[in-house]
Amino acid sequence: MTKKLNLTPYLFLAPALLVIGVFILYPIFAVVYYSFTDFNIVTPPVWTGLKNYTQLFQDDVFWLALRNSFIYLLVTPILIILCILLAIAVNRKLPGINAFRAIYYVPVISGSIAVGYAWRMLFDTNGLINGVLLSAGLLQEPIQWLAEPALTLPLAMSLTIWLGLGFYMMIFLAGLQNIPEELYDAALIDGCNAFQKHWNVSLPGLRPQIVFVAVISSLAAIEVFNEIYTLTGGLGGILNSGVTMVFYLWKQAFRLQHAGYASALAIVLLVITLLFSVFNIRSLERGSEQD
Amino acid sequence: MNRKLQFRVSFSALAMLLVAAIFLAACGAPAAPPPQAPQVVKETVVVPQTVVAQQTVVAEKTVVVPQTVVAQQTVVVEPTAAPNPEAVIPNVEPNAEITLWTFWLSPTFDDYIKSTIARFQKAYPGVKVNWEDHQATFQDDLKNAFAAGKAPDVINLSVSEGWVSDYATKGLLLPLDDKVSQDVKDLYFPGLWNEQLVDGKNYQFPWYQGLSVELVNMKIYSDTAGLKLEDFPKTVDGLPALCKTIKEKTGTLCDIRLTTNDLLSQMVYEGGVKVISEDGKTFTFDSPEGVAWLQMYVDMVKAGTVDKSVLVTDQDRVGLDLFSSGNAAFYQTGPNLIREVRANNPGLYGYLAAVPAPVGKSGVLGKGLMSLSVKNDTKFPNASLALAQFFTNPQSMLEFSKQVAIYPSTPKSYEDPFFAAKPIAIEDSAKPIAKDIISKYADIVPTIPHKADVNDIVLQAVQAALFNNVPAQQALTDAVTKANALLAQ
Repeated sequence: MTKKLNLTPYLFLAPALLVIGVFILYPIFAVVYYSFTDFNIVTPPVWTGLKNYTQLFQDDVFWLALRNSFIYLLVTPILIILCILLAIAVNRKLPGINAFRAIYYVPVISGSIAVGYAWRMLFDTNGLINGVLLSAGLLQEPIQWLAEPALTLPLAMSLTIWLGLGFYMMIFLAGLQNIPEELYDAALIDGCNAFQKHWNVSLPGLRPQIVFVAVISSLAAIEVFNEIYTLTGGLGGILNSGVTMVFYLWKQAFRLQHAGYASALAIVLLVITLLFSVFNIRSLERGSEQD
Repeated sequence: MNRKLQFRVSFSALAMLLVAAIFLAACGAPAAPPPQAPQVVKETVVVPQTVVAQQTVVAEKTVVVPQTVVAQQTVVVEPTAAPNPEAVIPNVEPNAEITLWTFWLSPTFDDYIKSTIARFQKAYPGVKVNWEDHQATFQDDLKNAFAAGKAPDVINLSVSEGWVSDYATKGLLLPLDDKVSQDVKDLYFPGLWNEQLVDGKNYQFPWYQGLSVELVNMKIYSDTAGLKLEDFPKTVDGLPALCKTIKEKTGTLCDIRLTTNDLLSQMVYEGGVKVISEDGKTFTFDSPEGVAWLQMYVDMVKAGTVDKSVLVTDQDRVGLDLFSSGNAAFYQTGPNLIREVRANNPGLYGYLAAVPAPVGKSGVLGKGLMSLSVKNDTKFPNASLALAQFFTNPQSMLEFSKQVAIYPSTPKSYEDPFFAAKPIAIEDSAKPIAKDIISKYADIVPTIPHKADVNDIVLQAVQAALFNNVPAQQALTDAVTKANALLAQ
């Protein structure tokens, strides 16, 4: 007996598939194609084969951008540690604790561009930071924060951490509230102090959240753009000190109009991100299996 | 068939026939006559007494009176409309619909743009103009529009930022030399008409011009540092000593900006540097003149007399904001931006003075600011040329100058008493000398192949010399090597 094809599920899926096809799949295939062409956006692409890829591996700025992107991954462990500590701090039944939770969440909803420009004004040569430090006698002359190559990446990373604190804190807070209270009671009975209680009960209980935060924050770190753009005024910092993979990709595509070369960068970034995610998840899961 | 149903069917059919008839009548109405139809619709001839005449009445009838005629006829002649003196482009396509994009003119100049478009439509009846103003995303919007095949017909492009040659080298703009009569070309200052040439061809109608002046904060410059306005350096190489004095006496840093997206141009004007060989096959900006130009800025950075983040920003507003905050002694900008200083810091406005900007080793005061170009594949080339020319004609530019401190690119505009009037506000201080300065503007930068890439290479070299202790000669020589490799591709 032949099975009658039921079209109803496909009809329900069709709108979503259409959107995915147009806005996700088609751009991916287009980027793959453009990566083999010389394309400046305003005139049609010209096929050049592997030229973009050979040029990419000989490009010093590409390797610098890759290096900066991996340095940027340091925000992940910092965020995990700070957010766990914050979550523990706000996981108490104190009057007004909800207000603190809301205040820590404000940077998340403030918008990275607006916050970036606000930080740019703060760290300006005549900005508030220099003003406070000069008034307190800690500086004799103002520091040109945004013009120091060595400070570009740390400032951008600090901004990323500040922006992400509230969001990841909420994730860990939810995780903490799922840990059974009996485990903490048992730890108290066993004579654990506060540090030991959290080290032996909270952290193991937060492992799924740690894996999740590690993966998404590290992906966000590799793909950072807004913070670099706003703090460096779209230049990537003096001597390319703040140039990361996505920033370099944007610069090649929209500033220098080498969309073909930028597409090759995007494909390389895709491969790196995929490998990194798989490695990240496997090693964290392996750690939880050993426990 | 049921009677009621029969009636309904008949009534519906009649109603539809009536609607169709009305529709056909409306569509069948004769089209409006073309804009410049033959003249003399009515003519009545008065013949008081004996007339032996042969008269020909155009468009009506021919009256031949061979003998004595006693007739009385009234002659009313409707005069032929004189051609609009501002309509200088012929053969404008009838019923053309064209799009104009301007750069950062709305909402401040909405009334001016709309009134100019209305005047244009009177001069060229039947042409419809759709106007859009784009701001911070202008370049991205324009590139996307070209990619999508929906670029505007008439485009406001920045000459000072090199946009005209950027798009012209890609074949996206209409060359004007053989599309426009010599009379029209002669309306403009020759130096401005011959700017941003690509392979010897011009692609732009010069539009409003700016003057570079040094805005001086007298509170810092005079009151605190004790300097005299008349001693402000007349040449660029006087700036390092001035910055040193200001730093020593007031503690403030100089607000000087490199044109980071067109450093080669700045080298040419300020340093008198020859950036490329005559045959266009080798870059030559690592010459002694180029090194001397770069070394001047390296010395200022080492001496700690300039704001480093302003020096290498690509946004003029960053430098302007520093000056507007009252933390800089001077800043080079156009008088038209004094309104921004006034808006952001009214208290500073009273302390402002303006002096001519220092001149570079080239001796050329500057180049043009803004222009209007026509896209190459426009469906209405003559209408587009007419619009671009209309906005840049003497009358339109004079009216624009009366609204803001910008200056016309046409000598005739300066004959108006407006430019001879004694300036009252600091914004108008350059008015009496504007014509003299702008008539000397010239584009002395040769066509640079792979311009954006070469400028990026030069920017990295400049930054290496300024901030990474790379000797200026080595930085520029390395940059020349990389730039020549691009030419070889």
